[in-house]
Amino acid sequence: MKFFALSSFTAILLAVLTTLALVAMYFLKLRHRRMMIASSMLWSRVLARQEERSLWEKLRRILSIIFVVIIGLLMVFAIARPEIDGLTGSTGRTLIVLDSSPSMSTRMSDGRTRWQHAVDTASTIVDSSGFGSEFRIADTSGQYDSPYMNGKDEAKQAIRTLRPIAATPRFPETDDSDTHIYFISDGVAIPQVPESARKFITYDAARNFAITAFEVRPIVSAPLQYEAYLEVTNFGNDARRTTINISEGGQGHIRREVEIQPRQSYRETLDLSPFEGGGIRATIQTDGDALATDDVAYSYLPVKKKTKVMLVTKGNAYLQTALKLDSFVDVSIVDPKDYREDPITDAYVFDDFAPAAQPSKPALIVGIGNGTQSVSWLPRPTGIVEKPSFTAWQDDHPVMKYLSLHDVSIAKATTIAPTSMSVLATSGETPLIVASPASAAAARWVLLTFSLQESDFPVHESFPLFVDNALAWFGREHPALRRTTGIVEVPIINAQITGPDGKALASRGYLDRTVFEAREPGLYVATKDGLRQYVAVNLMSRQYSNVNHPALNWGSEIKPAARILKHEVWFYLLFLAVILLGVEWFTYHRRITL
Amino acid sequence: MPLFDDEFRKKLEYLSIISKRVFAGHFRAERRATRRGTGVEFADYRQYVPGDDFRHLDWKAYLRLNKLILRLFEEEEDLPIYFFIDASQSMTYGNPVKLDYARRVAAALAYIGLANLDRAYMTAYAEKIRAELPPQRGKGRIFKVFRFLEELVPGGETNARESFKTYCTEARRRGLAVVISDFMDPAGFQSGLDILRHFRHDIFVIHVASHEEIEPVLKGELVLVDSESNVSREITVTPALLSDYRTEFKHFCDEFEEYCSKYQLGYIRTATDYPFEDLVLKVFRQGRFLK
Repeated sequence: MKFFALSSFTAILLAVLTTLALVAMYFLKLRHRRMMIASSMLWSRVLARQEERSLWEKLRRILSIIFVVIIGLLMVFAIARPEIDGLTGSTGRTLIVLDSSPSMSTRMSDGRTRWQHAVDTASTIVDSSGFGSEFRIADTSGQYDSPYMNGKDEAKQAIRTLRPIAATPRFPETDDSDTHIYFISDGVAIPQVPESARKFITYDAARNFAITAFEVRPIVSAPLQYEAYLEVTNFGNDARRTTINISEGGQGHIRREVEIQPRQSYRETLDLSPFEGGGIRATIQTDGDALATDDVAYSYLPVKKKTKVMLVTKGNAYLQTALKLDSFVDVSIVDPKDYREDPITDAYVFDDFAPAAQPSKPALIVGIGNGTQSVSWLPRPTGIVEKPSFTAWQDDHPVMKYLSLHDVSIAKATTIAPTSMSVLATSGETPLIVASPASAAAARWVLLTFSLQESDFPVHESFPLFVDNALAWFGREHPALRRTTGIVEVPIINAQITGPDGKALASRGYLDRTVFEAREPGLYVATKDGLRQYVAVNLMSRQYSNVNHPALNWGSEIKPAARILKHEVWFYLLFLAVILLGVEWFTYHRRITL
Repeated sequence: MPLFDDEFRKKLEYLSIISKRVFAGHFRAERRATRRGTGVEFADYRQYVPGDDFRHLDWKAYLRLNKLILRLFEEEEDLPIYFFIDASQSMTYGNPVKLDYARRVAAALAYIGLANLDRAYMTAYAEKIRAELPPQRGKGRIFKVFRFLEELVPGGETNARESFKTYCTEARRRGLAVVISDFMDPAGFQSGLDILRHFRHDIFVIHVASHEEIEPVLKGELVLVDSESNVSREITVTPALLSDYRTEFKHFCDEFEEYCSKYQLGYIRTATDYPFEDLVLKVFRQGRFLK
């Protein structure tokens, strides 16, 4: 027994003093009034008969004392606010961890999900805990870990805000102050659980068909052609038929009906040539499927369209060849003096030339020389550097991806004023390749500070790759990034995230990425500076979709024991004291106890 | 207020008239004694023996039978009425005081007795005979009775057995013993009455109880002090206890009545707030007092 309002010593001392005081008061009676009567003969007979009457009569006085002492003690202990673990639940700092792995969304035989059962169990634990308990609510995704809170309602509210989410399961850090640790799980994805934790399981075997792989990828041998790789796995214990549908917004549609044996997968590479492009959705339909999250998968098929590039040059065989060989590019060549903006052009390539006004579409400027000196939208040339060499480059920038520039020889390059720009490659302190800053509002541009004629860069294998990277960075659609539901990271700084329903999602920007939470599978869009990057968020995990597990020897419990008393003990003590007072008053007035 | 004022005397006169009217023919002054004597009512004949009063010879019978036949007459004698008035300390309680009530009842009955030419013996007792009035006869002696009753000094414990024993062992004629008491005798009400029965008195019991005894109005923590013995007893008066007391009192009265019925004693119980004249009439109706 613990006391909240008083220390144990004080409570016991008060109880003893109260008992002594009440007993003493009981014997300190009022002075009896003397009354002369004619004869006590009859009174003596009555009293003698009363004394003889029964044991009850003899015990009546002691009973009355006991009554009063009990009432006094009940009041004292009520003031001390006792708590008895067996009656009101144990008190202490209570850590409740819910397994938030996606398998917790599996529907159980009663129609409710494992997660709903887990929430109920957690709420029961809160309810069955002592009234002085503090609660810390956490999940295994690491995304939620509340501070300790006193209120039960607050704790239950926190429990209700949790959702299953895909993440590597991990048990929150515990310390000695956590008196009680509870872990509620379906036992599918179990993190390292402390020995002292009490485990509650919400599980029954379930059927589950899952899309375990769905990827749209280009066909290497056919530019602008894509295929999809699909894998559907039966995680149930019996063979069942499933219907697979792959569809897009347009005419493309593929349907399969297959029977998959238990623990087996159906795999197929699908030709997406009938598909026009855009979001693609793969779904499976199976009778009695317990987990819906993995029955759908999304991807993005880039629209099959070549980038229209206007090459503004007086003649550059390297550039012309590289652009003409690029299967994603439809090039047109224009002399600098004939240059004017063309609305149908997707990107410009300026060779030793730059227009006075920045074009509305992205531009690759190769060489900064006489033709570009008076251009205000580009960095101002400050001088010439002889025989620079690439000493460093940002290989994580989309333009510089997969490039090797170690052995590129450059006769001379133009030094430029350090203005606002992204330096992609340098020779020591001298920028050799720069790009428009990430935050620039206008169209993108990439600038080489050296002329192709004054270097051997065009003859390196990195050159066509560089040109293609630059054009791709300018706006070519890419296949979607593939991510798992839960916390999603996109390698775009401060991107604005749009959900499958078109509504903006909250996101956090980090130095090199944007992070957001994708609760449901779908096609998300990360937008930055007019660039759209699709993010296909799917569960697609054998670990999460495998909702069954062999017999779990986990020492787990099904349900926490509900506490006996609904309110604090003091409430019942006081209530009992009031009842006894009433009884005592009633019996006193009827002279039963006195 | 004097005990026997003019109002009281008027009531006595009234009772006397009522008693004569209602109970005519039952007057004790005309009571025939079992002894033959000098009365006027013929009773029997017997042979004359020398020494007999020859004035009672029946000469007509002598002429017819040639024998001396003596006419016998029933002797008319007065009845001794012994009034035993409890003058113990317990009789000083009640409102009106039990003793005062007893004195009035005794005076009333004595007056009626005197008026009917009976001899009235007035005796006050407690632990012993406390006061005694020589036998009185005739209405004119009522003032002596009044004085005796007025001068009674109450006190002492009740011991009827000892008192009656002392009284009856002296040579007394058998008569009507009227006992007026609350009968709060530690030895029991029977102890005294048994003595009177033993001496073959005709007994009439007037049980006087105060209202406070019948329906005590007590409450709370009390020390009850017995007025006679001064023995005290702490009690907490509860409704249940009061109920038990009332049951006990009723039991006491029932037992008393049963005793009187068993031995054919006249018994009347009265409360002190009951008008004494009504009580006296009640006594008359019982028929035992006036034969």
